[in-house]
Amino acid sequence: MNGVSPLSPSDSHTGSRPIRTARVARIFDHASDTRSLFLEPVDSGTVRYLPGQFISIAITLPDETRTRPYTIASPPEQGMPFEICFNRVPGGRGADWLFERQLEDSVEFTGPYGTFTMESVPAAETIFLADATAVAPIRAMIQRAAASTAPPMMTLLYAARSPDHILYRAEFESLAARTRGFHFEPLILPQSELYEGLRKEAERRWVWGDSDRTRQFYICGVGKGVIALRDLLRSGGYERRAVHYEQW
Amino acid sequence: MAKLRVIFENGDPERVIEFDPAKAPFHHDGLPGSILDILLGHKIHLEHACGGNCACTTCHVIVKQGGKQLSEPTDQEEDMLDRAPGLTPTSRLGCQSVVEDPDAEITVVIPRYTVNLTSEAAEE
Repeated sequence: MNGVSPLSPSDSHTGSRPIRTARVARIFDHASDTRSLFLEPVDSGTVRYLPGQFISIAITLPDETRTRPYTIASPPEQGMPFEICFNRVPGGRGADWLFERQLEDSVEFTGPYGTFTMESVPAAETIFLADATAVAPIRAMIQRAAASTAPPMMTLLYAARSPDHILYRAEFESLAARTRGFHFEPLILPQSELYEGLRKEAERRWVWGDSDRTRQFYICGVGKGVIALRDLLRSGGYERRAVHYEQW
Repeated sequence: MAKLRVIFENGDPERVIEFDPAKAPFHHDGLPGSILDILLGHKIHLEHACGGNCACTTCHVIVKQGGKQLSEPTDQEEDMLDRAPGLTPTSRLGCQSVVEDPDAEITVVIPRYTVNLTSEAAEE
C-alpha cells in the first residue's frame, strides 16, 4: 500500500496507537465460507496479546476505509504468525475483503484490544459457550488453561449449523483425550436454533442441574443469544463477574 | 436541530455539530444516531477498535451536559464500561449512546487516551 496509511486518522484525536503491518503467511479454509489467515508482522517480529483479544484491521474499500475487529484465534504461546478466523456474512464487506487477500499480501492493523480475556487461569470449573467462528477467542483461552500446571475442570459447549462449521474439532478432541477434566461437546443444530440449544443445555446443566454457583463462564457469539445466555446465568445465581461474554 | 459540542482533552479546538437525529445513521459504525455515528458522519474521528460493536472501550466519552437526552446504557455497555480506564460517573461508550431528543444539547469530552486495560502492556 502506498501513500497515506489507511489507518491514519483524519485528524489528531486518536491517541497514539501504532499502526503495524503483517503479511499473509498462510491461508486455511475451514469450510467454503470460513477461513483463517495466518499473519506475520513485518516490523518488529511479534504481537503480544492475551487470549481473547482482537486486532483492528484497516479494510481498504474503493470508496472508504473501514475499521473491523478480528479476534486472534491462536494462543499467545504459539508465537508468530498469529491466526485470525472469519466467515462470510451477507453484506459483510470486511470479510469479503479479507477473503480476497492472497499469500504475501500486506494487512495493516492496530491492537491488540479487548477485555474479553483470560488473564489468569481460573481455579473454578470453567464453562465455555460458543457458536461457529466465535470459538476463536475461546480456543486461545482453552489452550492456555489446558497448558497450565493445574488446569480447572473445563467444558466447551460449541454449537454450529454443520460439522464443517465446528472449527478446530480434531484439536479439541485431541485435547480432551489427553487433558483430564476437559470436555468437548459439539452441538449441531439449525442456524436459527443455535442459541436456543445452548440456552437449554446451559439451563439444564448449570442452572437447574445443581446448586454450585462457583463456576466461571466465557460466552462468545453473534447476536442477542449471547445476552440471553448471560442473563440466564446471572439470574440463575452466578456472580455478575463470573459470567464473561463478548457479543458480536 | 440537536447540538453536540465536542471537547478534546488533548487540547485540540472544540467542535460543535448541529444535526437532525431523525436523519441517522450518519455513518456505518456504532448504533445509528450514536455519538460515534454522529462524529464519524461529520468527519470527526473517534477511536472504535471493535467497529462500534460494544466490544471494547476505545470510544469512551465523558458526557458533561445532556446525559438525560441520550439513550439509557444497557447492561452490556455498563459491563464494558466497568473496564474502561478513567471511568467517571458520566462515562459512556460513544458507539452505544444514542441522541434521542431532536432538540438535545449535549457536550462530551474525548479523553486524551482511551487506553485499553488489557493490552500488550499487561504482559510486560
